[in-house]
Amino acid sequence: MRIEIKDLQFSYPAGVQALDNISLIIESGEQVAIVGQNGAGKTTLVRHFNGLLQPTSGEIKIGDWNTRKQSVAKLASRIGYVFQNPDEQLFSRNVKTEVAFGPKNLGYSNEQVEALINEALEMTELSNETETNPYDLSPTWRKMVAIASIIAMDTPIVIFDEPTTGQDAANIARIANVIKTLRERGKTVITITHDIDFCAENFERVIAMAKGKILLDGKANEILGQEEILATTYVDPPQLTRLGKKLGLKSTIINEAEFLNSI
Amino acid sequence: MAIVNLQNVTYKYPLTDSPALQNINLQVKEGEFLAVIGPNGAGKSTLCYTLAGFVPHFFKGELTGTVEVASQESSKSNLSEWVLNVGLAFQNPFNQISGAKFTVFEEIAFGLENTGVPRDEMKVRVEDAMKLTEISDLADRSPYSLSGGQQQRVALTSILVMQPKVLVLDEPTSQMDPIGTREVFGVIRTMAEKGMTVVLVEHKVEWIANFADRVVALHEGQIILDGKPREVLTSDALLDKGFGISRYTSVARKAKEQGLWNKADLPITLGEAVEGFRK
Amino acid sequence: MHGRLSFYVRRDSAIHHLNPLTKVVLALSIILVAFIAPWDWTATLLFFLVIVPLCFAGKVSREFFRSATRLIIPASGFIFIMQAFFQPVGQDIIFKFWFLDVTQESLIFAFRTSTRIAVMISSFTFFLLTTHPSELMSDLTRRGLPGQFAYVIISSLQILPQMQAKAQTIISAQRSRGLDTESTFLKRAGAIVPLVGPLVFGSLVEVEERAIAIEARGFTSTHKKTSLQNIADSGMDKIMRWVLLGLVITTLVLNIWLS
Repeated sequence: MRIEIKDLQFSYPAGVQALDNISLIIESGEQVAIVGQNGAGKTTLVRHFNGLLQPTSGEIKIGDWNTRKQSVAKLASRIGYVFQNPDEQLFSRNVKTEVAFGPKNLGYSNEQVEALINEALEMTELSNETETNPYDLSPTWRKMVAIASIIAMDTPIVIFDEPTTGQDAANIARIANVIKTLRERGKTVITITHDIDFCAENFERVIAMAKGKILLDGKANEILGQEEILATTYVDPPQLTRLGKKLGLKSTIINEAEFLNSI
Repeated sequence: MAIVNLQNVTYKYPLTDSPALQNINLQVKEGEFLAVIGPNGAGKSTLCYTLAGFVPHFFKGELTGTVEVASQESSKSNLSEWVLNVGLAFQNPFNQISGAKFTVFEEIAFGLENTGVPRDEMKVRVEDAMKLTEISDLADRSPYSLSGGQQQRVALTSILVMQPKVLVLDEPTSQMDPIGTREVFGVIRTMAEKGMTVVLVEHKVEWIANFADRVVALHEGQIILDGKPREVLTSDALLDKGFGISRYTSVARKAKEQGLWNKADLPITLGEAVEGFRK
Repeated sequence: MHGRLSFYVRRDSAIHHLNPLTKVVLALSIILVAFIAPWDWTATLLFFLVIVPLCFAGKVSREFFRSATRLIIPASGFIFIMQAFFQPVGQDIIFKFWFLDVTQESLIFAFRTSTRIAVMISSFTFFLLTTHPSELMSDLTRRGLPGQFAYVIISSLQILPQMQAKAQTIISAQRSRGLDTESTFLKRAGAIVPLVGPLVFGSLVEVEERAIAIEARGFTSTHKKTSLQNIADSGMDKIMRWVLLGLVITTLVLNIWLS
């Protein structure tokens, strides 16, 4: 499912212009990371995809749907959005009911819901916690419940808003695994992230934003080496990229395998 | 001279079966900068609460062993007195703002008002603390109008102004963006350089490698490593346990297996990695 | 994101310099006199001859008149009409409207009640406009109000608007999971639990952390608390409070004596 954005302008009611003439195409199955300083417009942009925000001018199409013409509830069948703070989402008496919420809203049959839940729980290593109250779990596992709740909706596009904030290495690895599985299933995955190493290791395309505009947009190994431009939006290059640069390696390194092959 | 002395500390939260901390023996010298690493659930926050007296006074539960700071035992003290010994700051800056004050200046003075510091002394201490943490320009702002990094610095200043003997920081940069992270680490570094005894729980291993005097690795409630940053951060004992490993260390470890890293020690900083890989 | 539930307007006026307790007593005295006085026109006189001049003295007249047009006049107007039409008193019918009678007695009653309500609201408004909540709480704490009580009130003023922001995010998150908040009333009613649940549970987590944070700053210390701000309580303040008390008592005596 393709995302097509044409000439998007957005200003908040108070008058602040948050997005300035954004045009963008994200093809089906792409893995995209959006980076940039706070206030650059990353979250504002992404909230237009599922209709939470409507453009002041310009148009967004998700597949054949124009976001102006569909409710947020309907767009939820095409876009799953994992919010940053799981505690702003969890309310059910147990994990199973929580994860069932999304797919039920989308109108799946009981059998389908059951199948979707089981799959989502397996992907997030929560299969043994179906009867547990989400708030009895640690923040680490509450994060995975929130992710499972969105995956279970089986949407062609999934958005992660700062998925690694506050997570330890083990959970970041779990989240990376989830994203890998989604990629293998042909889903489009879009993430907003400050963790540039996580970005380099899991996303093939990087969009850098600043002040409501797109600064850079391209393949990770083209974008992440552009230190000076990234610095203007307070993005540091990934650690291995920096290492590669200091060692004078020709290509921009974005992961361990590339590094080891280059030296 | 050890200003912090934990002997055989074991602690169980109420209504739990397994201890959150098991047999912890830990000494921290005055002026030392100790970093604590570990996967989530290892007991890092519990350790912070224990140092700050919230275990056992706030959380109740079963605590055995001795927790001593500056020759005083936490179980024999009142929590409201103990907080003058050990200052505690944690992840979420928003939850550390009292809500009782309308300006940053008053917010920082809050702790001094509670502990009966005379007005003139209060004003001087707040001004000095704000200068140290470079937030003097925020004095008249509402704490709720600040960025995450600014709020966290206000929270830190509010604790520092109480002049604790030990500063315990539980993942202070976890919720910060890169700018906020830089600002907060800047304050921590300033305090450490001024001789404050600091215990910092952090995931950002690269920063610890550069600035900590000593690193303690916590796993399932127990200390599994305790030593200099290089020893601990490159140790194989950290592997496959959920610890965050610096990417420089990790790639050099793999390179060593392939015969591409020839130095005896694995690197923990960018500089060391560059040096080691240059042929 | 910041906002605050507070009417307070910072000005440099004689009223602002008064001790907060004095302003409490002043506002309450005006209300009590309006309600206790045995005459129908006391409230109206108090409004025009006391409250309005006080607002000018406090340099908050503009804010007060904005509040008057938005709240005081509509509220008291509404009460007037309700009382005039629905109060079953009196025989002297002045006019009928459908099945409702307006009598002379009910008109007088309506006038009295609505002007008293108007005085009550205006007096409170005047008080809120000229009194800084922190200063009020500091002063009351100094006089013996438990610190916890003051804390709960002040922190609510700042934290409730934050909860509003949180509620907005929760609504967005649940809508993104297909929660229908736009169609039928029943569907919207069923949306309550997924919206209130996270707000309540999430807040419990925050409350515990905040309790730890204020504890870490000596909140439960048994030391005598000091105050950053020096809130003056002049001789003039004390005299004013006694005079106001005297006025209230005099009004009460007059009421009893004349009835």
